[in-house]
Amino acid sequence: MRQLLFFALSIAILWSCDLEKEIEIQLPDYEPSIVVECYLEPDQPFALLLTESTPYFEPFPDDISDYLDATLLDSAEVEILHKGTIYSLQNQLFFDPVKQKIYNYYLPVSVPYDTDSPFELRITTKDGRTIEASTKLLPRVAIDSIVVEFQENDTLARLLTYFTDPPEQENYYRRMLHEESLDSTARQDFPTDDRIFNGDVVFGTTFDFSEGTVVFNTLYHIDEDYYKFLESVNGAINASLNPFAQPSSIISNVTGTGNPIGIFTGLVYDRVETIIQR
Amino acid sequence: MMPKIILTSALFLMCTWVVDAQNRVTISGIVTDADNGETLIGATVTVPATGSGTSTNEYGFYSLTLPMGDTQSLAFSYVGFQTQLKTVLLSQDTRLDVALSSGIALEEVVVKANSFEEQLQSTEMSVEAITTREARLIPVLLGESDILKTIQLKPGIPSGSEGTTGLFVRGGGADQNLIVLDEAIVYNPNHLFGFFSTFNTDAVKDLKLYKGGFPAQYGGRLSSVIDVKLKEGNNQKFSGSGGIGLLASRLTLEGPIQKGKSSFMVSGRRTYVDLITRSINKANEDNEDATFIPDYYFYDLNTKINYQLSEKDRLFLSGYFGRDVFGVDGDFFDFNFDWGNATGTARWNHVFSPKLFANTTFTFSDYQYNIENKITGFSFQVGSNIQDSNLKSDFYYAIRNGHTLRFGANVTYHYFKVGRLKAGSDDGSISFSAGQDYDGWESGIYVSDDLDIGDKWKLATGLRLSAFSNDGAFYTGLEPRLALRYSVNDKLSAKTSYARMYQYMHLVANSGVALPTDVWYPSTERVMPQRSDQVAFGLSYLLGRQFFINAETYYKWLDNQLQFVDAAQLFANNDLEDEFAVGQGRAYGFELSLEKKEGNLSGWIGYTYARVVLSDFTTLDPNGSFAQTDRNFGDFSPIYDRRHDLSVVLLWDISRRFSFSSTFVYGSGDLRWLAPGRFNFQDVEGANFQPVVSDYLARNNFRLPPYNRLDMSLVWRFFPKWGESDLTFSAINVYDRRNTFFIYLEPEYEENPDTENPIEVPTRIAAKQVSLFPVLPSISWNFKF
Repeated sequence: MRQLLFFALSIAILWSCDLEKEIEIQLPDYEPSIVVECYLEPDQPFALLLTESTPYFEPFPDDISDYLDATLLDSAEVEILHKGTIYSLQNQLFFDPVKQKIYNYYLPVSVPYDTDSPFELRITTKDGRTIEASTKLLPRVAIDSIVVEFQENDTLARLLTYFTDPPEQENYYRRMLHEESLDSTARQDFPTDDRIFNGDVVFGTTFDFSEGTVVFNTLYHIDEDYYKFLESVNGAINASLNPFAQPSSIISNVTGTGNPIGIFTGLVYDRVETIIQR
Repeated sequence: MMPKIILTSALFLMCTWVVDAQNRVTISGIVTDADNGETLIGATVTVPATGSGTSTNEYGFYSLTLPMGDTQSLAFSYVGFQTQLKTVLLSQDTRLDVALSSGIALEEVVVKANSFEEQLQSTEMSVEAITTREARLIPVLLGESDILKTIQLKPGIPSGSEGTTGLFVRGGGADQNLIVLDEAIVYNPNHLFGFFSTFNTDAVKDLKLYKGGFPAQYGGRLSSVIDVKLKEGNNQKFSGSGGIGLLASRLTLEGPIQKGKSSFMVSGRRTYVDLITRSINKANEDNEDATFIPDYYFYDLNTKINYQLSEKDRLFLSGYFGRDVFGVDGDFFDFNFDWGNATGTARWNHVFSPKLFANTTFTFSDYQYNIENKITGFSFQVGSNIQDSNLKSDFYYAIRNGHTLRFGANVTYHYFKVGRLKAGSDDGSISFSAGQDYDGWESGIYVSDDLDIGDKWKLATGLRLSAFSNDGAFYTGLEPRLALRYSVNDKLSAKTSYARMYQYMHLVANSGVALPTDVWYPSTERVMPQRSDQVAFGLSYLLGRQFFINAETYYKWLDNQLQFVDAAQLFANNDLEDEFAVGQGRAYGFELSLEKKEGNLSGWIGYTYARVVLSDFTTLDPNGSFAQTDRNFGDFSPIYDRRHDLSVVLLWDISRRFSFSSTFVYGSGDLRWLAPGRFNFQDVEGANFQPVVSDYLARNNFRLPPYNRLDMSLVWRFFPKWGESDLTFSAINVYDRRNTFFIYLEPEYEENPDTENPIEVPTRIAAKQVSLFPVLPSISWNFKF
C-alpha cells in the first residue's frame, strides 16, 4: 500500500509539471479591415469611431498616442442621412469625459429621436474604400420596478429588476448592472433575445449587495443586428482564450469594400440608480 | 425489362436450391470454447477432403451442406485453439455442436474476427478487429486498458490525440459511428471527457469496426459501425478477473447457473481519484490559499445472463449502466454535472432448421446529461436525454455452401429531450425554462446475399430500406450495398465495395471537441437526414505464412452535414434549428497496413493518408450567418482532418512470465480555428474597452504541430495455485513529448497599469500551448482465477 501511495504521489508531481509553454506560431496572412463603431443615442451628438484591424501579432505601440495614431483611420468622409438631412461628421478627436469614450468623427448636433425613419451611414475613405450601413432607433423599454430583497438573518441583498417585454414582436436587450459607478467593471453585462420570455420579465442577482451600495441598472432595447454583433464579439473574445468555446466570425451590419467590420445602431436605454436599503 | 430479369433469376435460383436439397444433407451447430462455453465467432468448419467449408456467424452458428453419402471428416478450427476433427455420417441433416480447447495453456482466449486466410477470402473489407489480449497488453493511460482506444491504432481511425474525444472514421464526424453494445446503441462511448471508453475490456468478448463496405443489416450512421459484444459468462466453472490500478479498480465474475446450460457475467469498475482529492480538500479546509479540487469519478457495470432453453433456443439478457460524475459541493456554490449511458438487451436465438438461424432482439438505450448549479438563492438546471426502444429480427439462411442469405427488419422508437433548461430563484420570483421534446420512429428492412461465383469471385449484395418519421416529417432511404472479391491467387485478392448510408440523428456539438453536453437532434422537416456514399478498393496480400498486407483507398461523398452558425445560441433556445447550417462534404484517403498475428512477436504497422473537406453550407435561418458563405471563405476542413497518421504496435511474448508491448503514433496535427487578425472594440458607456477582439476568418485555418508519442508496457505474470496474476508496468509518452492539447492567444499587460486611463493596451500577445501530460509511468495489478 505504501508503494502504491508513493506511485500516486509521483503521478501527482508529474501532473504538476509545467505543461504550458509559450510557442511561436505562424498565422495565415491577414488583410486589415475597416472597423466602424457608431451608436446613435437620441439627443446626444453624432459620434463615430473609425479604426483599422491589424494582424494578430502586430506589435503594440508603446504609448497611447502612438497606439491611437496606428489604429485610428482618419481623413474619411462620414455622412449620416436621415429623412433627407445629411449629417456630415468631422474628422476630429473627441473624448467624452462622462462616458470615457473616444471618437474620431464627431458632429455637435443632437441625434433626433425618430423611430420611424432609418438612418443611413456612408463612409468613403481617403483611398476610395466605401462602407454603408442602415439602422433605426427603437422605442425605449422602461424598467418597471426594482425590488431589493435581503436574505433572512443576512446583511446582503439581491436586486430584482422588472420590465415588460412587448409581446407582439421579437425583442433584444442588453442588460448592464454596475456597482458604485458606471466606469467600474459591470457586475452583469449580457445581451439576450426574448425567445424564452414574453410579457413580464424579471432579471435577478445573487445575494451580493450590502446596505448603502449604489447600483446602476441599465436596460438597452437593441436591434437584432446589434445583438448578433455583440454575441459574435463575445464569442470571438472567449474563443481565443477558451478551447471549448465556439469561435465566431464577427457578424457586422456594415458592408462595403474589403470586408468591413462593425456596428451602426441606435442606443436606447432606461437606467435606474438604486441605493440598497433594507 | 429489369424486373423480368430479376424474376427469371430468382426462379432459376429457387429451382437450383430445390434440386440441391434433394441430394444433400446439412450439418449445423454452435462452436464454443470448451473452457467457458463462450461461442466462437468466425471459427472455421472445413471438409479436409474437398477443401470446402464455412465459418461460424456472430452467434457462433454454422451450417454446412454436403452431398449425401458415407462418413465425412470435418475439421473445426479457430486461431489459438486446437483443431478438432469430427466424423459425421452424411445420411441426414445433423446437429453437431463442438467445443474447442485452447491450444496453449498460457494463451488467453484469443478473440479474432478472422484469420488472415479468412480476411483474404471474405468479401468484407474496411474491417478492423482487436483482440482483448491485444487491448490488455496496450494500456492507454495510467495502466488502464481500453479496447476502443486500442482499435484507434488501426489505419483509417485517427489515433486519439489527447483531448480529441470523438472517433473520426474515414473523415466522418463524431456522430457518424453506430456504436452498439450487445446490439443496443451507445450514444456516448466516453468516460473522463474521452480518455476512456465506456467499454470495460474485462467484460468484452469481441469488437469489430467497419469503416466501409457496410453489411446491409447495419444502418443509421454514415461512417462506421462498431459492434461490441459482451462475454456470455462461463457456463463451465466459476471464474473471475480484475485489477487494481492507480486510477480505477475493476472486478468481473462469471460462472454457470446451471452447468453447460446457463451462465452469468457481472463486471464493474470505478475510479477513485475523488477519494484522494476529497482527503486533500479536507486537509486544506483551513488553508485559505489552497485550491479546491472538484470531485470526479466514473463507474460502470455490465451484466449478462444467458440460458440455453433447448437445443434450438438460447436466451440472453444483458445490461450496461455507467455514469461520470463531476461536482463541487460548497457552502455557497453547489455544482453537479453527471452524464452516462444505460443499455439493456434481451436476445433470443432460435434455430428454425439446419439452414435457418434467427436472432430477435429487444434493446433499450438511454443517454443523458444533467447539470445542476446552485448559488445562494438561485439555481440552474440544464440537461438533455435521448432514449431508444428497438425491436429487430435478423435471419441467417445458409442456402448452400458459399451462398448465404441474410434478411431482417428493425423498428426503433426515439424519444428526445433537447436542451431542457430550468433556472430561477428558490422562492420562485425568477423563473425561466426552455427545451424541446421530440419523438420519432426509425425503421429498416434489409436483405443481403453472399455468393461464391466459382473459385475466384465472391459477391455480396445487399439492399436496405430505411425510414424515419417525426412530427410530420417523413423520410425514406434506399441503401444499396455491394462488395466484390476477386482472388488473384491464394496469396492475393482484390476487393471493392460500395455502400450508401442514411443517418436520421445528428449530434450537434458546440465546438470541435466532443463534450458530454453535445445534443442529439432528430431529422425534422427542416433538418434533412445525412447521407453518404462510399466506394472503396483494396488489395490484400498474404506475405509468407505470417504477414498480412492490406491496402485500401476510398472516396466518400457526404450530404446534409450540420454545423452551427456563427454566434449560435445553444442554451435556452427553443428554435435550435435556426442555429444550424447545412452543407456537403467529401472525404478520401489511402490506408496501408502490415500485420503479424501469430508467434511470440506480433503487431502491426498502419499508415493512413486522408483528407476531408466540407463545403456549400447554407443556414436554415435566412438571417443566419455562416463564415464560410457570408464572407466567401470557400471550402474548409473539420478539425479532425489529419493528413498523415502512422501507428506502429509491437507485442512481444518474451517468455511465459513476461510480455512487452510498445506503440508509437505519429500524426499530422489537427486543425484549429484561429483568428489571423484583431481589432479594438470600444463598446458603449459602462463597458470596458477591448483592445483585442479576434477577427476569425476562414474556419479551421491553422494546423497544430505534429503529434507523436511512444508508449511501453511490461507484463510480469505469476502463477499462484488459485489462478494467474500479473503486474503491468507501463509508461505513456516515454520521451516526454509535449503534444498540443490546445493553443490560446493571451494579451499581456504592464504589471502596474495606469488605472485612470480608460484605454488599457497590452504590451504584446503571447501564443501559449497547453499539453495534457508529460511522461506518465504507472503500475497495475491484475488477476484471474
